[in-house]
Amino acid sequence: MAKEMTLSGCAASAQAVKMAKVDVICSYPIRPYTAAMMELAKMVNEGELDAEFVHGEGEHAQLAVVYGASAAGARVFTGSSGVGVTYAFENYSPISGGRLPVQMMIADRALDPPGDFGSEHTDAMSARDQGWIMGWAETPQEAFDNHLINYRIGEDKRVMLPQFVCQDGYFVSHIPDKVKLPDQAQVDEFLPPYDPGNHVLDPKKPFSHGPQIRPDQGAIMDSQRAEAMLAAPAVIEEVIDSYNRIMGRSYSPWVEEFMTDGAEIVFFMQGAHAATARHAVRHLRDQGVKAGLVKLRFVRPWPTKAVAETLARFKAVGVIETSTSYGGSMRGGNLLAETRASLYDVPGRPLTTSFMAGLGGEVVPLKEFYWMAQKLTDGLKAGRMEKSVYWAGLEH
Amino acid sequence: MFDIPKESQVPFGCVTPAPVGEQPMMITGNWREYRPVIDHEKCNLCMNCVAFCPDACWQLDAAEETVAWNAKYCKGCLVCVNECSTDALSKAYELDFPDGVVRLEKPF
Repeated sequence: MAKEMTLSGCAASAQAVKMAKVDVICSYPIRPYTAAMMELAKMVNEGELDAEFVHGEGEHAQLAVVYGASAAGARVFTGSSGVGVTYAFENYSPISGGRLPVQMMIADRALDPPGDFGSEHTDAMSARDQGWIMGWAETPQEAFDNHLINYRIGEDKRVMLPQFVCQDGYFVSHIPDKVKLPDQAQVDEFLPPYDPGNHVLDPKKPFSHGPQIRPDQGAIMDSQRAEAMLAAPAVIEEVIDSYNRIMGRSYSPWVEEFMTDGAEIVFFMQGAHAATARHAVRHLRDQGVKAGLVKLRFVRPWPTKAVAETLARFKAVGVIETSTSYGGSMRGGNLLAETRASLYDVPGRPLTTSFMAGLGGEVVPLKEFYWMAQKLTDGLKAGRMEKSVYWAGLEH
Repeated sequence: MFDIPKESQVPFGCVTPAPVGEQPMMITGNWREYRPVIDHEKCNLCMNCVAFCPDACWQLDAAEETVAWNAKYCKGCLVCVNECSTDALSKAYELDFPDGVVRLEKPF
């Protein structure tokens, strides 16, 4: 029977991975993601999950183990946080180039130095150009759902790409919330066993995975990967439609709107801080400020059309960045550059700016959202935004 | 979306058939500056070249009682020349041969 449990993001991820009936799991401890592996280790130990549980000797090894296991036809799961994500970096491109639907959970953690345990999206965002599907969860429920959704997207024959399934460290990974768990039969209906087809290591038909290729083959391989990423949006829409139908959910594939009816200014963001933003928007509305929230669900593939069509309806958009791109075109984070590029061809496009907020794992309190709303309102009055990046909490 | 000629296509996920003896999809012997040349009169089949070549480009041809050089994978490192116990091997400039590989014609 479908049931409701109170689970942290990590525990919710573990439940999803169990229900996805993964074959091979490779762990290496680093907080905050490691709580998911703790749960999975218990499930394997207690016989609830029939999977091979491998302890990697580091994050690079973790990715190497699941790379091989996936090539052998297994449904695999691994994960990491912060510097663990960057330590494994070398393996990301070969896995997507090898077209293996590996799934990796990332519970964000700020990168070193200096050993900051807080949540910041920079760890995962650094890997956004490696040919992996990537998106964030706002709640343990969304984390649970995203794992199942991503397995089916990645394993679809039209896609065959690995997936980073991200959640903010601590804010999602360690704060328990109510999670509706489906029946195993519903999950089985949604997510059939992984069928690698001919793309599987077989002693009877030996081939080499990840061999050196020649420069004249490189562009062609890259074009295959690019085509797969271009094919992904249609598959994502189909998969989320199917998930909503089978599980009784109501996810939008690309962007989710909150109190956007009649809104003039909107916050555009991904991940955990959207939960606070919802409250900020409600209070702003009570004060007569026409604010709203648009939440992004996938960064890769970036939903150019959905972002353009949605944001074009508003007058000013404040992109809330939880990652940095030092010296980038927007002098702040990564999302504003993508947002502005998406809006470039939209006639009468809205004013846009970005807010660096929640860096190093700081909370983004309501008063910072009010401050951001004030900047957007001022910009709207003036007809232009004064700057393309504001650092919330560090300037007036 | 892309228009890639049939002869240029690469396998899905860039897998290559497992080599049987040699890997025909990955010819790497076209960046030599020098190649080893053997003087069969001096060779005593000590097998140093066979043992030391990092790319297995020297093989014993038992029927002919000689060692044979495989040009397809030789990168001209000349370890074999260095290790030859009877000075049967010497280096020769690659482009002095009519079939010499031109390094920049195709990088790999």
